[in-house]
Amino acid sequence: MKKNTFKMFAVTGAALTFALAGCGSNTDKSSEKASAKPKEEKVLTVYSAGPDGLAQNIEKAFEEKTGKKIEMFQGTTGKILSRLEAEKNNPVADVVVLASAASMDGLKQSDQLQAYKDAENADKINFDWSDGEGYYHVYSASALGIAYNTKNVKDGPKKWTDLADSKWKGKLNMPDPSLSGSALDFIFGYAAADKSAWKTIESWKKNELQVNGANKEALESVITGEKDATISGVDYMAYKAKAEGEPVEITYPESGTVISPRAVAIMKDAKNVEGAKAYVDFLLSDEGQKLVADAYLLPGNKDIAVKNRAALDEIPQLEVDWKGSEAKQVDVLNKFNDMFR
Amino acid sequence: MIIESRRSFTILFAIVTAFAIAPLIAIVMYTFIGEGRLDLTKVGKLFENSAVLRTLGNSMLLGIFVMIGTTIIALPMAMIRTKTSLSRYNWLDIVLTIPFMTPPYIGSMGWILFMQKNGFLQQIIPAASWMSDYFFSIFGMVLIMSLHLFPFLYLMLRNAYLRMNGSFLDAAEIFGRNRVKNWFKIVLPLLASSYILGVLLIFIKTLAEFGTPATFGSRIGFKVFTTEIHAYLSKWPVDIRMATSLSLFLLSVCLIVWYLQNLLGRKYAFGILSGKTATLRTIEEKWPITLFSWIFTSIILILSIGIPYFSIIATSLQKVRGEGLVLGNFSFDAYKELFTGGSAGLTAFLNSLMFSVTTAIVTAVLGFAIALYIKKGETKKQKVLDFFSLTPNIIPGIVFVVGLIMFWNAPWLPATIYNTKAMVVVAYCVLFLPYSIQYTKSSLAQLDDSIFQSASIFGRNLWDVYRHIIIPLLMPGILAGMMMTFIISMRELVAGLLILPPSVETGATFIYSQFEQGNASVGMAVAVITVMITVIFMFLLDWVQRRGERANV
Repeated sequence: MKKNTFKMFAVTGAALTFALAGCGSNTDKSSEKASAKPKEEKVLTVYSAGPDGLAQNIEKAFEEKTGKKIEMFQGTTGKILSRLEAEKNNPVADVVVLASAASMDGLKQSDQLQAYKDAENADKINFDWSDGEGYYHVYSASALGIAYNTKNVKDGPKKWTDLADSKWKGKLNMPDPSLSGSALDFIFGYAAADKSAWKTIESWKKNELQVNGANKEALESVITGEKDATISGVDYMAYKAKAEGEPVEITYPESGTVISPRAVAIMKDAKNVEGAKAYVDFLLSDEGQKLVADAYLLPGNKDIAVKNRAALDEIPQLEVDWKGSEAKQVDVLNKFNDMFR
Repeated sequence: MIIESRRSFTILFAIVTAFAIAPLIAIVMYTFIGEGRLDLTKVGKLFENSAVLRTLGNSMLLGIFVMIGTTIIALPMAMIRTKTSLSRYNWLDIVLTIPFMTPPYIGSMGWILFMQKNGFLQQIIPAASWMSDYFFSIFGMVLIMSLHLFPFLYLMLRNAYLRMNGSFLDAAEIFGRNRVKNWFKIVLPLLASSYILGVLLIFIKTLAEFGTPATFGSRIGFKVFTTEIHAYLSKWPVDIRMATSLSLFLLSVCLIVWYLQNLLGRKYAFGILSGKTATLRTIEEKWPITLFSWIFTSIILILSIGIPYFSIIATSLQKVRGEGLVLGNFSFDAYKELFTGGSAGLTAFLNSLMFSVTTAIVTAVLGFAIALYIKKGETKKQKVLDFFSLTPNIIPGIVFVVGLIMFWNAPWLPATIYNTKAMVVVAYCVLFLPYSIQYTKSSLAQLDDSIFQSASIFGRNLWDVYRHIIIPLLMPGILAGMMMTFIISMRELVAGLLILPPSVETGATFIYSQFEQGNASVGMAVAVITVMITVIFMFLLDWVQRRGERANV
């Protein structure tokens, strides 16, 4: 009996020793890595705001094409911005990809980006939202519409004001604009382009509009039929869900909607500038743009065909000026938050 | 003893300081010092802001309700498991800890999927749709959190019952009046210290909880401290100083509660242990008691395990989410996707496994050394180390995580582990060190002094005493601590959300992000695998411990 106890102890002891040795070598490895860093700047660090599959496909295709390795952090636009803020003393990211051009412009204004004016294919991009000085490039966009559950809703709404009807009471939701860059873009663009926008938003509130979660969370409620429709639904997610057989459809109101540009930029403190430039080039290349279209996003290059979704010229648009809009977006966000608190 | 020298104090204290105290100092510095000067504007702003007060109110209310909720579940459960015929079924203890091992955000996602409009409940019983509105309120939140946290209080109460010396009860039987009165006059006061300790810990744990408020709370617009801190750090526009100010505020609240707990705990402490073991008495039981016990236990198990797991498993098997529970809408596709070579979900899961095992081992070694040094906390140094090494148990995890981020990003540091995997392990170790210390300490407390005395008389040298006597006797405690650390590390969410380096995800952050941006079915498949591994692990360790105990007898 005693032997048994001892055996157990011995085994555990041995396990501990191994583990500690493992730990030691672990830390060794990381310090090795740190010291080796200045030598080889092969690794490129990308902070990318979704969509999940697209970011990974781009990573894979880019690594195969250039032989450069990518370390990627994925999160919502808000998460990436906060990470950049926390890491100010100790910058890590080389490239940032955000789902909001306004936020990107904010990074430019606060002097955190570097220009890459002669990016390949930059002239093929048909959005005029890219920065004129080349600090960021709009490589794709998504249109924000009304995603609705086809089991619960027979014909979709035609105008934003349709949603003020009492038949939508308790059946609407919307992504939280402080989490979702595109939802913020939507309110900002809608309020800027339409004078009665706030009145309409107020009427949605009267209809018990639920504001919660990031884009997919809001759409998920519609997919499962918990809610009937999502305002400011990101269209590419709805198209993807539809392709997977979910009972969901997306519509763009005739009065026009906001198209939210998605931008890529190189950080000022980037350690791997060469790799960063190659990444931007790749995103704007035909190959990169095809991957964008495969993810149901609107590609920046209009020569690239979209599949199973509305093309750019089929979507009624509201005119929005994104330059220098970051500060104004804070006001819009505060106003919205006060309303829905 | 070996671990008593001044040098070992210095080493241990340095470790504890570097990992647990420095982050807290970093928070204070960041909050109060702006541009090199003392700057109190942010703190002032904190109190002008009515939203902060509302958050405080929300957190407090939730804490109090969950204290009540866990008591309603845990107290009867502890009695059932010690005083009725159900005390024979030891497997129940493992089953009853499953809710605590279930990551809280997964549990609440399960409940949400079950209770929401058009959710599983309504698909099964359409007439139950009226429940939905009532459930999506603070009531539902308290229910979910109580069901998650009760095992904690239950185990404490059950152990108090078991430790209670039989002679007290015999005396009561002989001299007391009726059973009910005996219970109130003798058992209840003896339970009081364990209960107060447990229930105030539940309160602190509720304040510290992030998963349920982040999933269920955001749904009903119920904001608490942890979610607000996380929001200031991760939602745009970012306000780090607001986050540290709030962290400091939350920290103070928890310290006050902890102080209260100490004060009350001391007041109600009675010696209920003596050298003699309680004799096991045979139980004669009337059938209504047996029936009630089984019904109560079943209800608790259905609510705490049945419902959330039904939702999780059903979701992981669904083909088309919008179709609901229909025959033909089920497949193993999510699992297939998960296990096809190097999928993101599997990688995330393996990362969690690696982080958790490393953390369990490191904290076991550190915790063992610290527990031996502290012993009963008689000298001042022992008390100091005791207090500081247990701070992570009093202070909410998110506060430590914020502190660690601030500390490891400080501009004067020559090198940093920020943005490496080591940072994750350090964070986990800081957060979970108290578990291993406490488990080792409690098994140390069970060793009678006579063991040490006889060991020093008959033992050859100190190392032998350690090797043959102390460590083997403490082993069950150390292993239990490792088990707890492993399980809790596996489900840690908030640390991962805030400090994981690029390209690294843990199971928890993967599941969370699948709900935010990706595929819920795959997320739930990872959840199922995670919980399965922890349950298997738990049964294994239970078996090892049992063997250890038998060998000791």
